[in-house]
Amino acid sequence: MKAAATTMEEKSNEQDLRSTQVSRFGKLVNAVGIYGIALLFIVLGIVLEVTGVIHGFMTIQNMMNIVDAVAILGMVAVGMAFVTYSGSFSDMSVPTTMALTGIIAIQMLQYGFWVAITSALGVGLIIGLINGLAIGKLRVNSMIWTLAMNYVTMGIIRLVWVNKQIYPDMTGASEQSIKMFDDIFRYKVFNAISLPVVVLALMVIAGQFIMSRTVFGAHLKLTGSSRRTAKFSGINVERIVTVAFVISAVAATIGGLTITSLGRVGAWYNGSGYDFKAVTAVVIGGMALSGGRGSIVGVLGGALVMGLMSNIMTLLGIGTFSQDMIRGAIFIIVVGINAKSLRSLGRDDA
Amino acid sequence: MPNPYEVWGGTMHNTDRNTLLSLGNKYRIYILFVAVFAFMSLFAPKFFNPFNLTTIMRSFCMNACVAIGFTIVLICGQLDLSIGTIITFAGVVGLGLKEQFGYWGSVPVAVVCGALIGLINGLLVAKGKISSFIVTLGTMTILQGAIYQFTGGNSVSLSSEDAFAVSDFLSKQLFPLITPRVLITLFLAVMGEIFLKKTRVGRNFYLVGGNKNSAWLAGINTDNYTIFAFVLSGTMAALGGVLFAMESSAATLKLGEQSLMYVLSATIIGGTSTAGGKGGIMKSVIAILTLEMLYTGIILFGLGNEVKIFIAGLILALVVLYEAFAQYRHEKTIGRKPSLMKGAGTKA
Repeated sequence: MKAAATTMEEKSNEQDLRSTQVSRFGKLVNAVGIYGIALLFIVLGIVLEVTGVIHGFMTIQNMMNIVDAVAILGMVAVGMAFVTYSGSFSDMSVPTTMALTGIIAIQMLQYGFWVAITSALGVGLIIGLINGLAIGKLRVNSMIWTLAMNYVTMGIIRLVWVNKQIYPDMTGASEQSIKMFDDIFRYKVFNAISLPVVVLALMVIAGQFIMSRTVFGAHLKLTGSSRRTAKFSGINVERIVTVAFVISAVAATIGGLTITSLGRVGAWYNGSGYDFKAVTAVVIGGMALSGGRGSIVGVLGGALVMGLMSNIMTLLGIGTFSQDMIRGAIFIIVVGINAKSLRSLGRDDA
Repeated sequence: MPNPYEVWGGTMHNTDRNTLLSLGNKYRIYILFVAVFAFMSLFAPKFFNPFNLTTIMRSFCMNACVAIGFTIVLICGQLDLSIGTIITFAGVVGLGLKEQFGYWGSVPVAVVCGALIGLINGLLVAKGKISSFIVTLGTMTILQGAIYQFTGGNSVSLSSEDAFAVSDFLSKQLFPLITPRVLITLFLAVMGEIFLKKTRVGRNFYLVGGNKNSAWLAGINTDNYTIFAFVLSGTMAALGGVLFAMESSAATLKLGEQSLMYVLSATIIGGTSTAGGKGGIMKSVIAILTLEMLYTGIILFGLGNEVKIFIAGLILALVVLYEAFAQYRHEKTIGRKPSLMKGAGTKA
């Protein structure tokens, strides 16, 4: 929401004075700042380990756990970042997109591994297109629409698979395809780095490249900053927003396949909670909810901080539900600080 | 998002107010209500009998109560995603503290909790200048954790003598179709409607939602109204939740799980715009009743709960899409001469 009208003039003056003060260095600090926080969390973990409060933080196994947990969240968050960047807050249909595409993949596994993957990606693409067309073309309120889509997809899952969970080895798929499906999460590239991490790295690089080096990225930035201006500059904002939602849905599909492979089960609850976790990672990673500001590298840092935080909290013996409360509080605080600092720079934050 | 053409929209709307189509659109919820009622009475087995109708009235209470506050938030141009968890929270608090304080102590505590959550939402939205979607998404997550923290993951149920007495009282049939809880809900709905339409404070909500800047320039403290709307929403959600829990003497952790979907779709079907500034409480309440009849009918046709969830989601999506489409068509005509639009409007 815009601030009151009388302060507008004042604000534009302020902006003239201050816009030059954000230097290149300041931008760099903004982008890598989140990694500083991640480093702080690691130091905190080491300190707690040394003082004997927690045990097992510094083991290789635990580090691998953190990385794996970050991988799935990171995939979803990278996709979500495009939606946030385009000024549409967040994609609330992520949880059931993850669940549905995972179930579809397992269902189609009997026709071969690649068919399964392709059909899952196809379903994700369709969900993204529906979201994108409704929000981009018809300008539906993005939160309400994706929430509705979430319910519809949930309804489809409940309707077709009637509360049943499906397992890869129950679908009559060949040994090899089951093995390959299990390997989505477990395969080690060069026997060292797990596949999800590689996929995440590729997604981050591609995402960062698209956002900062392509015409589409520039259009996306302008659309996110001011949809009106973008439209009047001749940018096809409908298409830009649609593509952003398609990217989000496809990224959610990749995350969904990974989480389904992790649990070796396709069920409606796969991916629940990932909408909020992903948008928190995006926000902590320095992306403005009003759109047009932030970077994918920052979002990766956000996901890393989320992973480290929940790992340390688990080691401290804090229950999942308390973690939810803490996460929610941090989310609101970070958003509040973001909004406040942007406003004090004279940039209106929605 | 504030629509800079709100004033334009207002005048343009006036010119074609009297066409049959726009009149039908304005009162669409009453038409829908009659249509669904007639259809279900004719075709759904065992629909039209006193017992079933009373059941519908009783199950509509909770969401109707929640819709009263939710409508005000929506009119104010904001959204409250946390109502579902406030319902559950109030339910488990109201029943959980009953052993220590009795209902006279625990119910007010539950309702005040709801109001406080609403106050926090409102303060963050109005003073913190954070988008209401985001704030309430955060409070929703926090409350979800708090509910599990409070209950340890188990449902709360009471089996003492006086709890059952209260439960019996709330579900006792006073007149045909009317139990005390229905009466309370209807009373609140009527009071809410009068408050919103006939008092100055109530009417100001429309102005704040319709165009925040001109409301502010007209001397309305928009921040306070936004906060007030969220407090009302929290209070009503808590009241709905705790009354439902008292009647069934039990509060599961899924008490308010589907309420957000129902209340949101009903409020929009009822004609309250998600852009703010339009709508009414009575329409939302009738819409809740309509949906309740529809869903009961679906079950009576022998279709499962899965179909119900699917259709509920589909209805929400369609309604949101319809509203956006109307707005889209409306925005296409912005800037054209309203006087010329008049003739075109009646034909289309």
